[in-house]
Amino acid sequence: MRDTLIRADPRNASRNASRPQLIRMAITAILVLFVLFALPQLLSLYYIDTMTQVAVYSMVTLALGVLVGRVGLVSLGQVAVLAIGAWVAARLLFATTQPYPLVLLEAGLITMAAGVLIGLPALRLRGLYLALITLMFAGAITVVLATVNFPNGGHGFTGYNGSLVHIPPIRRPSIASGDPAYFRYSVIVATLMFLLVFAHIKTRPGRAWAAIRQSEPAALAAGINTWLYKLWAFALASFITGVAGGVLAGAVHYLYSIGFPTQDSITLLAVTLMGGVYSMWGAVVAALLYQFLPALLNNWGVSADWLIILFGLGVLQVLTTAPAGLADQVPKDLARLGRLLRRRLRKPAPGSTE
Amino acid sequence: MPPWSDFEPFIVSGLALGGVYALSGVGLVVLYRATGVLYLAFGAVGAMGALTAWSLGQVGAPGWVTWLTCIAVAAAITLGYGVLFGPALSKRDPLVKAVATIGLTLILYGLMDLLWTTSGGQARSLTLPTDNGGFSIGQIQVNWTQVIALAAGVVLTVGTGAFLRYTKLGTAMRAMANDREITATLGVPVRKVEAAAWLGCGVLAGIAGLLLADLVALDATTLTFLVISSLAAVLIARLRSITVTFVAAIVVGLLHDLLTPITSLTNYRDMTPFVLAAVALLVMPRSQVMTQSREEA
Repeated sequence: MRDTLIRADPRNASRNASRPQLIRMAITAILVLFVLFALPQLLSLYYIDTMTQVAVYSMVTLALGVLVGRVGLVSLGQVAVLAIGAWVAARLLFATTQPYPLVLLEAGLITMAAGVLIGLPALRLRGLYLALITLMFAGAITVVLATVNFPNGGHGFTGYNGSLVHIPPIRRPSIASGDPAYFRYSVIVATLMFLLVFAHIKTRPGRAWAAIRQSEPAALAAGINTWLYKLWAFALASFITGVAGGVLAGAVHYLYSIGFPTQDSITLLAVTLMGGVYSMWGAVVAALLYQFLPALLNNWGVSADWLIILFGLGVLQVLTTAPAGLADQVPKDLARLGRLLRRRLRKPAPGSTE
Repeated sequence: MPPWSDFEPFIVSGLALGGVYALSGVGLVVLYRATGVLYLAFGAVGAMGALTAWSLGQVGAPGWVTWLTCIAVAAAITLGYGVLFGPALSKRDPLVKAVATIGLTLILYGLMDLLWTTSGGQARSLTLPTDNGGFSIGQIQVNWTQVIALAAGVVLTVGTGAFLRYTKLGTAMRAMANDREITATLGVPVRKVEAAAWLGCGVLAGIAGLLLADLVALDATTLTFLVISSLAAVLIARLRSITVTFVAAIVVGLLHDLLTPITSLTNYRDMTPFVLAAVALLVMPRSQVMTQSREEA
């Protein structure tokens, strides 16, 4: 068996939903409803904005998780893909009056086309080489963006006008112009993306990816078109990240190229690994680590540098001891703690006779 | 197209930059071949060393102490990481080993940002006394630091090549590049050889950090991620050949600086390493990249 970035997931996916699965789905649905309706009432505006970012980045980490965890492809350039999505969406939002969902779809599709264009030649490479070439592409895209700039309402292809004094904000959908409403909007979009990935994992592509991750030669021998399914994963990840870019554009109103540095792609891989790449919850955990924790620390007046150090330690820890990440490790550790406590309680008091 | 005289100063700076990329690249290749680790924290440890040297300089330590400290800090961190995490990850895929060094990069990066905060506004600089002296070839001013940078690249490439070819330790490293297990069976003290490779790589990282802090900028982010440029040279050399690494590094450095006076391209000059590496990887024969090592089979 080929050593993937993280060792293979031992859990089998059965096709028919069993009872515990149904319960799990019900809990997930309740949680999504809670996040949609109760959470904006409970949080201050600062945290609502933060949670919007979490929703956006959960899509990005979801896409990266699909690549790393499901197919075994490591990309070190996802932030550049996000920047492409945001750029396309911003350009379309300034140039047209199309409804927002349509713009999101178009941003996703155009980003997907760009991802496939890069993926076509890059997928000849494997493992380390693929990771490094995505890093190279990300570096190149960052340089181009720094020169081209994000659209700010100017004219021409780039839509950038450096001498503009009053920069118009990037618009939001009319039904979600306020911050709480936009938060709900981004959660709905993110939920749709999670469902899209879920549908992939439970059907043919998911099984093909699992086979490829275990062993590419074996998958090939089993009659799987490995090239097609790897490209498919690349396209899906680019699409989701592109949509996330579109949501991000509306969330922040103004985009700057310094907001998408190459090093963020590296941090993003770190949090995705820490969150866990085998479960879709891992993507949510990763996004919370990436966006919520910094906001929390900022509020407490603690430097975000501690977080970077923590992410570094987390990567080392995940790679050496906890391959399935926090989403898997924390419930397991809690269960272990529970067992330990129960045993402690059941243990007869010292001195008593059996 | 600007006149030729505009390009002339950039030949010198480009060669100097290429020299540092070359010595970084050689360090990366040697470590990769001996241990299978692509050391992505190369820039970060160099930056850590350079910033430590700067702090020592602030409290009045003499120049040579700070330079040696820079190299020692980089070497110590690298050796420490190699001894601590090398054996634990030795049987894993090269990709896993590389991603683990990203962990180290983030730890160092966070520490540097914490200890040497950049938001203060005070720009730091690390100047070597060799900046002041120099000579001129025709119209072009050359300072000694630039000469040292290029010379270090040349000397270390030739030296490392000879070391790998003619010494016992070098032969052991080459053997390990082929097969770690068989080398161990032959009685080579695998861990010691690996530790030597880590130490050597760390020393090179320190030298590169010191030179780049002078030639480019003393800034944690810049120095940490400048490694990506030397990485391009290493990729062009397919993580194997030291000679190709050297040539590629010089080309990357030279081309990068020569694009500076061309107005239409100057903003895009930072793309040079990425574009060169991408092209080199993509035109590479499939077999070369598909069968990268025995562990992966």
